Amino acid sequence: MLKKWVFFIFSLVQLIWLAGCTGKSFDPIERDQDFIASLNIQEPSLDFIDGQGNVMATWLFDKAYSGAILLENDRVLLYGHQLNEIDVYTLSTGKKLYSKKVKLGTTNVYYAENKKQFFIANSKTNTVTSFDEKGNELATQKLGNYPMSMAAYKDKLYVINYKDTKLSVLNIENLKVEQEWPIQKSSHGIAILEETNELWIGGHGEGSKPNSSVKKYDLTTGVKKGEIKMPLMPVGLTKTKDAILVVSHGHNELYVADFDGNVKWEQVVGANPFAVNQFKDNIVVAGYDDHTLYFIKEGQVKKTVDVGKGAFQLLVREEKM
Amino acid sequence: MKKISTRIWLLIFAFLIITVVFMYVLTDYLYERLYVEDTEEMMVEVGSKLQTMYTGSKVTDEFIANIEQYTNYSNLNIFAVRNPRELSACVPFDIDFETLIGPEERQQLLAGEYVQKIGYEPRFDRQLISVVLPLVDQNRLEGIIYIYFPLAKISELANNEVISLFVSAFIFLIVISYLIYKGIRHIMRPLSNLQRAVEQMSDGNYGTRVTVHSKDEIGRLSSTFNKMAESIQQEDEAQKTFLATVSHELRTPISYVKGYSEAMQKGIIPESQKEETIQLIVREANRMERLTNELLLLARMENEQAEITLYPIPLAETLREVQKILTHQAEKKTIALHLDADDALIIKADEVKLKQVFINIIENAINYSYEQSKVEITAFEDNGSAQITIKDYGIGIPQEDLSHVTERFYRVNKARSRADGGSGLGLSIVEQLLKQLQGKIEIESEVEKGTIVKITLPLMEE
Repeated sequence: MLKKWVFFIFSLVQLIWLAGCTGKSFDPIERDQDFIASLNIQEPSLDFIDGQGNVMATWLFDKAYSGAILLENDRVLLYGHQLNEIDVYTLSTGKKLYSKKVKLGTTNVYYAENKKQFFIANSKTNTVTSFDEKGNELATQKLGNYPMSMAAYKDKLYVINYKDTKLSVLNIENLKVEQEWPIQKSSHGIAILEETNELWIGGHGEGSKPNSSVKKYDLTTGVKKGEIKMPLMPVGLTKTKDAILVVSHGHNELYVADFDGNVKWEQVVGANPFAVNQFKDNIVVAGYDDHTLYFIKEGQVKKTVDVGKGAFQLLVREEKM
Repeated sequence: MKKISTRIWLLIFAFLIITVVFMYVLTDYLYERLYVEDTEEMMVEVGSKLQTMYTGSKVTDEFIANIEQYTNYSNLNIFAVRNPRELSACVPFDIDFETLIGPEERQQLLAGEYVQKIGYEPRFDRQLISVVLPLVDQNRLEGIIYIYFPLAKISELANNEVISLFVSAFIFLIVISYLIYKGIRHIMRPLSNLQRAVEQMSDGNYGTRVTVHSKDEIGRLSSTFNKMAESIQQEDEAQKTFLATVSHELRTPISYVKGYSEAMQKGIIPESQKEETIQLIVREANRMERLTNELLLLARMENEQAEITLYPIPLAETLREVQKILTHQAEKKTIALHLDADDALIIKADEVKLKQVFINIIENAINYSYEQSKVEITAFEDNGSAQITIKDYGIGIPQEDLSHVTERFYRVNKARSRADGGSGLGLSIVEQLLKQLQGKIEIESEVEKGTIVKITLPLMEE
């Protein structure tokens, strides 16, 4: 009886091992297919949704990914805070392109399209490292405590040190620190407004005192230009061509503000939303607790889509208009 | 630790302690279980009612104030929380903050279920029973109602009671162990009496007896002891009598021999009587020799416990030989020896010992028969054994003596007259020999009518 079991388990292990060896392949996404993808982190998966709100494909992972970004148009890079490698998949084949060993503690990866580079922020080494598209390391810079949120504009890379009181402004080529701006601890979420030459950041707030505002800084000097009152914990900031979308996960609210910081409209949506993005002419909010994407148009929820547990990030690919 | 009663007492005492400790632990456990369960149930009930005050959307200041007000009048500690951070809303992010509820609990609350917790709560720095009820609106965890109650241990709750409990348990233990000690003493008393009796016995005091009070094991042991003591005493007395008899039996011929020979030495005996005197001395010497021989034989047989080898012997032939040997002796008293034996009988025996048995018995028959009578010897098979019957028509043996005739030096004729010539050892020897030959002896007799001796011996198996 025991022998049977041992054999069964052995075969199972073999099977899994062999399956691992062949390399997992996912449903491919056609090159010209527009989509919004939800990265779900409680049971790691990636849901691809088309313009009609239909789930085209679901990629289920057995690695604890905590984030993903699109590299150009046909590749997706997946990383995890507890993983010691990043994986890059080709969307049109559904196959892994390459893996790259990294240090444990990846908090965020940012892709700068104009430079064709991606940047990895690491909370264990407190560094940001730049890579070319093939995964070759270019430069590394030690920063403040727990670098996480990143955004690039022209030849600068802006990095929020999450557990620190400063924002680091780096030269995007060599990652040299050019400026350090004082900011609140537990800041998260960046939006760069070239129109007003401003940088907006959100945040959770420190300790038991939650934050309920978005701060505006001068993009060149780092001078704080003001605050916009927001519901509790605005952490998801996304700039569209005419507005800034902000989700406050503490109060489950979406705020749509113009570039001057005037709130145009607001809406309670989702449960514990962390991410917001624009797809086609919809604003899409991802509810972390209710595993649902909300498609909002003209201030109305037009459609909801069930996704995997813990919807945390939204990746959008669409033809530039 | 020497006495068995002490050991039993210690054992029971140990069990008592175990029982008391077990009862204490069990009570504590049950108390806690019931107490905790009851408290939890009550907390859930209160919480569920408070939950109904929540009407959806954001948790208002008013709601929080209401809860606060309720708790002022309640023995429970209740508060409402709406800070998402306390509710682990920031879980995907690394939060350096001790939240009120964990991520798993958040999931449970999101599903609309309440969360129960027992144990140390760092936020309150106490052991608590707490129940957390969710305030959920459309999948949104807008807040929680947190109810807690200090988990007072039984010792914390009832310190004085615990002390009195311990004291009463201690007193209970002492009283009970004293009673048990007394009880065991009572039960064990016959045993210690017995032990004392055995000690006295081993000191040679064979008259010791114990009084038997009960019919239990100890009672039976006591009565068995009494029987044993009696046997030992009898044996001891028999031994003493035997020694006295032996010395007496030997002293008589010795004094004859001494007296006559001294008389002859001094020339007191006239010449004409000398021959007769010498015959007397020889006769007494012979008697002594025979006596000592027989005693030796008996002693040897008693020591000779190892089994002797038995072999097939034709019984009728042996009986005829014995008849021949004793014919002369019988003729002296003009007694006829009639032999009627089945020639086919082959028995398992030792020839010398067998002959000795027959000679002793037939000699006895001749000795105690009147002149001109007869002795009848028959041998037949009976129930798979050989039965030899020796019947005489002599003086017989009184009924009261019949059971003693095989004892050493026992004589029916208490006068110990040497006229009948016996040493008093004949039948003892027969009995011993028959034991070795695996045979049995049975004696029936009637005074003045005669005696029948029946001997049973094993037949040779085919």
